[in-house]
Amino acid sequence: MQTNLADFIRDTPQGREAEAILRKCVHCGFCTATCPTYQLLGDELDGPRGRIYLMKQVLEGEAATEKTRLHLDRCLTCRACETTCPSGVQYGRLLDIGRAVVAKQVPRAGLDKLRRDTLASVLPRPALFNPLLGLGRIARNLLPKVLDDVVPETPSRARPWPLGGHARRMLLLDGCVQPALSPATNAAAARVLDRLGISLVRAPGAGCCGAVAFHLDAQDKALDAMRHNIDIWWPHVEQGAEALLFTASGCGVMISDYGHLLAHDPAYAERAKRIAALACDLGMIIEKEKSQLKQILISNPPRGKFVFHPPCSLQHGLKLKGRVETLLGELGFELAPVADSHLCCGSAGTYSILQPEISVQLQRNKIAALTASAPAQILTANIGCQTHLQSATRLPVRHWIEAVDDLLSEVH
Amino acid sequence: MDTLIQHFADTIRAATEKRRPLRIRGGGSKDFYGNAAAGEDFDVTGHRGIIDYEPTELVITARAGTPLAEIEAAMRGHGQMLGFEPPHFGGSATLGGCIAAGLSGPRRAAAGAARDFVLGLRMLDGRGTDLRFGGQVMKNVAGYDVSRLMTGSLGTLGVILEVSLKALPLPQAELTLSCELPRSEAVELMNAWAGQPLPVTATCHVEKRLYVRLSGAESAVRAAAKKIGGEEVPNAAEFWSGVRDHRDLFFSGDGPVWRLSLASTAPELGLAGHQMVEWGGALRWLKTDADAGSVRKVAREAGGHATLFRRGGQTAGAFHPLPEPLMRLHRRVKQAMDPAGVFNPGRLYPDF
Amino acid sequence: MPVDLERQRAVCAALRAFMPARNVLFEREDVTPYECDGLSAYRQPPMVVALPENESQVCEILETCHAMRVPVVARGAGTGLSGGALPLGNGVLLSLAKLKNILAIDAPARTARVQPGVRNLAISEAAAPHGLYYAPDPSSQIACSIGGNVAENSGGVHCLKYGLTVHNILKLRVATIEGEIVELGGGGLDAAGYDLMALLTGSEGLLGVVTEITVKLLPRPECAQVVLAAFDDVGAAGEAVANVIAAGIIPAGMEMMDQPATLAVEPFVNAGYPTDAAGILLCESDGTREEVADEIARIEKIMQDSGAHLVRVSRDEAERLKFWAGRKAAFPAVGRLSPDYYCMDGTIPRRRLAEVLRGIAAMEKNYGLRCANVFHAGDGNLHPLILYDANDPGQLQRAELFGAEILKLCIDVGGTITGEHGVGVEKIDSMCVQFGAAELEALHALKRAFDEHELLNPGKAVPTLHRCAEFGRMHVHSGAEKFPELPRF
Repeated sequence: MQTNLADFIRDTPQGREAEAILRKCVHCGFCTATCPTYQLLGDELDGPRGRIYLMKQVLEGEAATEKTRLHLDRCLTCRACETTCPSGVQYGRLLDIGRAVVAKQVPRAGLDKLRRDTLASVLPRPALFNPLLGLGRIARNLLPKVLDDVVPETPSRARPWPLGGHARRMLLLDGCVQPALSPATNAAAARVLDRLGISLVRAPGAGCCGAVAFHLDAQDKALDAMRHNIDIWWPHVEQGAEALLFTASGCGVMISDYGHLLAHDPAYAERAKRIAALACDLGMIIEKEKSQLKQILISNPPRGKFVFHPPCSLQHGLKLKGRVETLLGELGFELAPVADSHLCCGSAGTYSILQPEISVQLQRNKIAALTASAPAQILTANIGCQTHLQSATRLPVRHWIEAVDDLLSEVH
Repeated sequence: MDTLIQHFADTIRAATEKRRPLRIRGGGSKDFYGNAAAGEDFDVTGHRGIIDYEPTELVITARAGTPLAEIEAAMRGHGQMLGFEPPHFGGSATLGGCIAAGLSGPRRAAAGAARDFVLGLRMLDGRGTDLRFGGQVMKNVAGYDVSRLMTGSLGTLGVILEVSLKALPLPQAELTLSCELPRSEAVELMNAWAGQPLPVTATCHVEKRLYVRLSGAESAVRAAAKKIGGEEVPNAAEFWSGVRDHRDLFFSGDGPVWRLSLASTAPELGLAGHQMVEWGGALRWLKTDADAGSVRKVAREAGGHATLFRRGGQTAGAFHPLPEPLMRLHRRVKQAMDPAGVFNPGRLYPDF
Repeated sequence: MPVDLERQRAVCAALRAFMPARNVLFEREDVTPYECDGLSAYRQPPMVVALPENESQVCEILETCHAMRVPVVARGAGTGLSGGALPLGNGVLLSLAKLKNILAIDAPARTARVQPGVRNLAISEAAAPHGLYYAPDPSSQIACSIGGNVAENSGGVHCLKYGLTVHNILKLRVATIEGEIVELGGGGLDAAGYDLMALLTGSEGLLGVVTEITVKLLPRPECAQVVLAAFDDVGAAGEAVANVIAAGIIPAGMEMMDQPATLAVEPFVNAGYPTDAAGILLCESDGTREEVADEIARIEKIMQDSGAHLVRVSRDEAERLKFWAGRKAAFPAVGRLSPDYYCMDGTIPRRRLAEVLRGIAAMEKNYGLRCANVFHAGDGNLHPLILYDANDPGQLQRAELFGAEILKLCIDVGGTITGEHGVGVEKIDSMCVQFGAAELEALHALKRAFDEHELLNPGKAVPTLHRCAEFGRMHVHSGAEKFPELPRF
């Protein structure tokens, strides 16, 4: 597409990046086909192509209003459009730039601002989040329906963490909300890897990957969180951790972007790049070790029917579409096919709180698609999707590694 | 030839001026079809001959007065055919009449209708203007699809001069099977077959027997025949051309013959009389003494329409009446192409 | 053209009487993203965008516009490549994207009744559990809407064997400009009276607005396989196509791509195309197992005999889809080679292919622009993609002249200016080359039969004689800008 960026941004790094992205878009509209909000709302302004246009207008100097901000807010950042786009438009990157510009031009006020500020402060900090979550669970019966759904059920208990001591070590991103919402996940990852001769190491002091703040217009806050994490992780990297492993694909996407986002910070650029390169999804680690795992599972193969919900961060963000499904298939899991598995479940970080109407519709559609084959369990790979889906179904929704750990725990 | 076209155009202009209707005719093989048209005979049979036939392009272009048999023979010579298997209703059938009537034969449900094979045509409109629409290529969306509008318009919109048609290769092998089966079960079976990847190219149920034709590669036809079962019909080509041209015994007699075009899954009609089912259930020929109103009601309720194909003493209009908004569009379309109303007035509907 | 604010207010008020305000857009910020469809070289923000949610709102919008004499442009998914949905600055853009329900699938009768905003591919997905699918598959099938397909009579890579949209629909519900519903076609295979369904199909929104479509569904072929053949010379590839047809084979699909096209696609799709070949052919056979085995063997032999230096047969369904994925992504993938591209859509007699490609190659030199060619070889439909950079002054204009010359060449060899993308606004001047004044007048008369005041998508598809006269003059002084009333970027 033809572009003519305004003076205020043309010669900045963001401006140059935005221009390069915009010029790749040929306006073909393929992206609208896999955009969850366009499919629900049927308005060009609520699809990627329309949002690109809205951002283009702002970047070309037209003043933004609340309406442009609203249409950008409605984007789930699922990045399904990027998977679909044949021209290689990096929509997610453009949206980061566009949202920041629009947030500056049309500052938020009132309840919207309060909600975002609160989420950006509370979620990334376990010390604040955990007690609040407890309160929320107690108050469940007193809450109105919408909020009630947002506060998740009490999670399954974690199995004991292994002793470790293997020569092979990997660093674990603990995450901010996951340990409280689903303590079993990381423990299961550690236990499975332990059986494969790998120790999973935690780095006390590391915090949120930065994603929560980053997607709530607090990009500076997010960059600070990233720098803090790099400081905490670096000694482990120097001591030879093989990988920085994450069990929530949402966090994984953010960390994989550290190098790009801190590229203009001379003090952190190099280390950020290294950290991003070390970041690895749990599934890809297990994929490398699968022959060992298959051997162990021969005596206790999976039973029953499962479905897998691929998080957007996994399939579109990390571009690992189909990989975990294939891996689970090879490990003997019977996965029933799921319609529209490319569509977002509506969780999308804090989206379920900020855009409840759209989120609930997507959640309903997703649950219908996942349960169509009457499975026994829903497996996924991201804490956000997991809690969001769990709030709408009685079926257990778990990280897939927990299902693997179940089987291993029965084999001695 | 150009002088002949000039003569046609002059005749039309004169008729327009004097508001004297013309009754366009080719070989006259389908004179029985439609309502009686008023007017002076306008004979196009002199305008004949194949203009261009390029087998590897799958296109044949011929003048309207060319006998259908001549075109089919030329195509057979190159291993090709007209995919819609047009009815002839006699040796005199011409290409122009075939397209103007827009009728298709047994292969219709599998291969498409007359209009589906029309790629382009040349015509004279009601002002005697020489017009060309479409072309000689497979795909063409430039301008409205006037060629397809002309197909089946029974000469009420203009005089067809030349037509370009898509050709299809003759099947390598063809086989017809038959078995005895009640009609309702036969219709069910036809629909079930159509929902499966089988090389079925014609179906017919008549006199308690179901006939099915398979066409394609020898191996495919054999494999499908095994799946479908039934006994092989000798002289099958004769049977299908009898169905196509109404030489089949079913069509004998002088009574009215109705042609009901319905959803293929339409249930039994609930009308007395004899029936022949074609096109996978979507075409039902009915010989009945029931009055036109009841036949048309049944057809409408089954999602289709009923044509009084052979009058047999019936006085109703040949074609299913249209709802007013649609009839209004018809009148306006007629007005656009033939403002003076000189072509075949009354042949399609009494209004025009 | 500045927006007539008073009129805009009046139209919005009239529409809001029966539609929620959120579905009537008029502010610049909101309407600008609607300023173009898949052909972004032509842009014009509409005065108002109306987003009806059901058929009765569509009728009311049309009735209102008719009463107020406001022109209306209907739009589906906005993926069209000829600017057919280019809005008018004094008109209403009628988006049918919210009418996106599949109303019924009748598996025994093999039909689907759908609203116009339903995506082409969504129909096949919904029919899949019954072993059925909707055959026409334009390259944009993931996104393009069935309503748009009807308006453009879209084809696809399988249309040589399975036909265009017109061959695969049974019934339309159409809203006239007066806001009345007429039903064209029917439950059977034909309908009484004129074949107005065929006339409406491909009429580019000039005769009516389609509000409901009943499409034919076909049984999924038992199996399908593709032969990929690479040639050192596009002429030889063209010969191979003719040889396949001469052998009495109607392939399910037969596509050709030249080297620039394969080079654009391969890095994105990794379809396994040999990028060193001058041209590749994809030739698909589908049907029963026996049929396919038989046909594939014959096609393979014909390719070899026609001089292919590489012939590969898809080993499994995954590889077959991969071979096709490259072809289907060809247009947008060209966006990787160049910031903009201009897609042409001529159809030519197949035997003239080599000659036409040589002609295009010569034009590339004359205009100083590159061109990638994608070809529906089976049916002669050629898509030259002219690469240009809209940010470079003068390039768009050169691309347009280049395109017009290609279309003229298509007509000269006995073809047509558009096989499936439609005339839209883009090829409207080339219509003056393809049709004479008498034909254009007849087309206008038909238009008026449906739309007396010419309010539906005026200025598209069929040029006025006045415009052709202007074009003729411009043709003499070639280089003059087309569409002076349109904003240029």
